[in-house]
Amino acid sequence: MTITHHPGEEFLIAYASGAADEALSLIVATHLALCPTCRRAVREVEAAGGVLLNDLKPAELSGGALKSVLSRLEEPVARKPAAENPRAPSNVPEPLRSYIGDSLQAVSWIPVAFGLAYKPLFRRGASRVQLVRSAPGAGIAMHTHRGEEFTLVLEGGYSDATGHYLRGDLQSASPAIVHHPVADDDGYCFSLAVVDAPLTFRNGAIGLLAKLMGL
Amino acid sequence: MDQETASAVRLDELLVAVGRMRDRQAFQTLFEHFAPRIKGYLLRLGAGASLADDLAQEAMLTMWRKAALFDPGKASAATWIFTVARNLRIDAIRRERRPEINPDDPALVPDDEPSADARLSQAGDEARLREALKALSPEQTKVVEMSFFADKPHSTIAKELGLPLGTVKSRLRLAMARIRSKLGDVR
Repeated sequence: MTITHHPGEEFLIAYASGAADEALSLIVATHLALCPTCRRAVREVEAAGGVLLNDLKPAELSGGALKSVLSRLEEPVARKPAAENPRAPSNVPEPLRSYIGDSLQAVSWIPVAFGLAYKPLFRRGASRVQLVRSAPGAGIAMHTHRGEEFTLVLEGGYSDATGHYLRGDLQSASPAIVHHPVADDDGYCFSLAVVDAPLTFRNGAIGLLAKLMGL
Repeated sequence: MDQETASAVRLDELLVAVGRMRDRQAFQTLFEHFAPRIKGYLLRLGAGASLADDLAQEAMLTMWRKAALFDPGKASAATWIFTVARNLRIDAIRRERRPEINPDDPALVPDDEPSADARLSQAGDEARLREALKALSPEQTKVVEMSFFADKPHSTIAKELGLPLGTVKSRLRLAMARIRSKLGDVR
């Protein structure tokens, strides 16, 4: 598997520095699970973080801080239960698996249009995180967005004017782009999407439906 | 080996000693070095003095508890502690989850060349990185620092600097390219 579409490095920086919110972090980290190249880039940004931290002006701690920490070193620690391994081989990588479970097929999909189903996951501020399932050959209605849109392919693939996207590929579409992605015709296409403003559909009826569903 | 590299190697060794031998003396030295820097980091990010103090202590406790996981072939002590402080801040101040990969996940696509990447120490890289960061233009330095210390999305950084969003992004990409070329890593 070769990933050809990566997040822009500014998003890897946002993730590694800790500036990205949970929505962007989830889609970037799920891409990282599938992309050793971007994992290495994130390690490099973290190394830059280490240098910046080391070179920061130290701020003296309150008197007694060291003593207090030393006295707590042997406190028992409540262990977090280890992440459960999937019952069957799963193609949903962590961290996404912690949010949606082992199986894309088992998600409680909500149909919105012919061949198209959504599953909203969560919102953080203006960001909405959702899963999208497109039937083979189905188009996701032509839309524009006021904000940025990120799409990570989890299974199957789709194409639009900018290229062909397969498992692990991440597309970021900026506000100006009008696009009309079409799922590959050899199977369902599952993707994770983050939008930071509601989509604007060219088709009024779909737009209304999407609005009602809070997409 | 220059002095900065020597000191980075020393910090790595101390952290290894904490992980392997529960060395309290080593812990104390690391505390004296890193705790005030972590407090400085949290203050830069807008935490109040008393919260920054508490969280810096928390970070040191986390360091003690997780030190056995530290691998100097993968990251320097400073880098490792930066990630501890970063995650603690997201958890305690922003109250959000920090989605991260699980290296043992069977669904994870493994690194292509594990041995080529594994070096004895990342400490030498730190000196090269510091050089690369110093060589950035003032405009690039500004956006990189805001990424680490402002906790703001690119659009807000752009607004505050009075720049188009695309300019902020391209400055970050250029900064990254310079850092990577210094590390001899071409994507």
